[in-house]
Amino acid sequence: MGIKFVIISFLFIAALHLESRPISYSGGSTVMMQTDALRDSMYYHYSPTYKFAVGIQAVKDKYFNSDYSYFRFTYLLNRKNAPHSQRNLYLQSGISSNGFDNYFYGIHGDWETRRWFTGFGYKKTETNKLNFLEQYLQIGVAPYIGEYGDLHTWVMLKSKNNSITGDWNTYPVLKFFKGNALLEFGYSDSTKLDVHIMYRF
Amino acid sequence: MKYIFCLLFLIGSISTIAEKDQMHVMHGHTHEGHLHDTMIDGKLLEVNPDRFDNFVSGLTESQVAIISVNGMVCDFCARGIEKTFKKDKFIIKIDVDLAGGKVLIAYSNNKKIDFEDIQKKILSNGQNATALQIIDL
Repeated sequence: MGIKFVIISFLFIAALHLESRPISYSGGSTVMMQTDALRDSMYYHYSPTYKFAVGIQAVKDKYFNSDYSYFRFTYLLNRKNAPHSQRNLYLQSGISSNGFDNYFYGIHGDWETRRWFTGFGYKKTETNKLNFLEQYLQIGVAPYIGEYGDLHTWVMLKSKNNSITGDWNTYPVLKFFKGNALLEFGYSDSTKLDVHIMYRF
Repeated sequence: MKYIFCLLFLIGSISTIAEKDQMHVMHGHTHEGHLHDTMIDGKLLEVNPDRFDNFVSGLTESQVAIISVNGMVCDFCARGIEKTFKKDKFIIKIDVDLAGGKVLIAYSNNKKIDFEDIQKKILSNGQNATALQIIDL
């Protein structure tokens, strides 16, 4: 139970990190790197249009000492642009290099202004060994409103749940971005500190 | 779980109110106490006059497009707009006004500004261009 809890919690948090800006502008590429106590991963995605992104995520699993990849596809189902806000609904999916019976799919959405952020996600993962559901809610506030090109900061709170443990776990996240780069720090009791870096080009 | 949904609803409501306030303040600032709020043809300048002054400083024989954009809520969202327009050789300079939801583009005088083309470029970044004002310098 303990080991499973840690692994599933970790997978869940890793998935949450990758939801930030899941599709770029037309012709845009994004590289994401994440590292923590259990694994390192690198995810590259390319957006032919602002509607979808295709990418590959390479994972080095420190706990099981194994390497594998996910071929990922993300689609923008719906977007509402308003003068001072934007709302998005995304479909996400991925197939593992371990075989076609190892995959995930889900939906996630967000609504944001320059001051506030709210988001949610629901994801199902199926593997040879384990099938599970994950869901999360997220709220955030920008403590100050920066101009274009400034350093922007978000203080966030994520609350997550998975079907293995059934428990909700809430933890704080600090997010900084400037220009094309993003740096995010999250902390939870189960995974401790983890770091996420993203660069868009 | 119930509490979290209530909290999210509350934050959404507060944010909507805050957004309306912000729009009101911006409107008041833009059109108060600036001589060139109203252009010589009687039209209102659709961007903060101080920002406009800074942008056109040093520019001559050019035209400035002031584009109203919906959905430009963050720095990251606007990066693609700048990159897309910078590929155009007729463009001298670009500025993004996140607070006002405007993009300012200085074109050379020999460029015919096409709003449909601008709308396509903004849409390729995932936002919507809703209005265009052109000012000749």
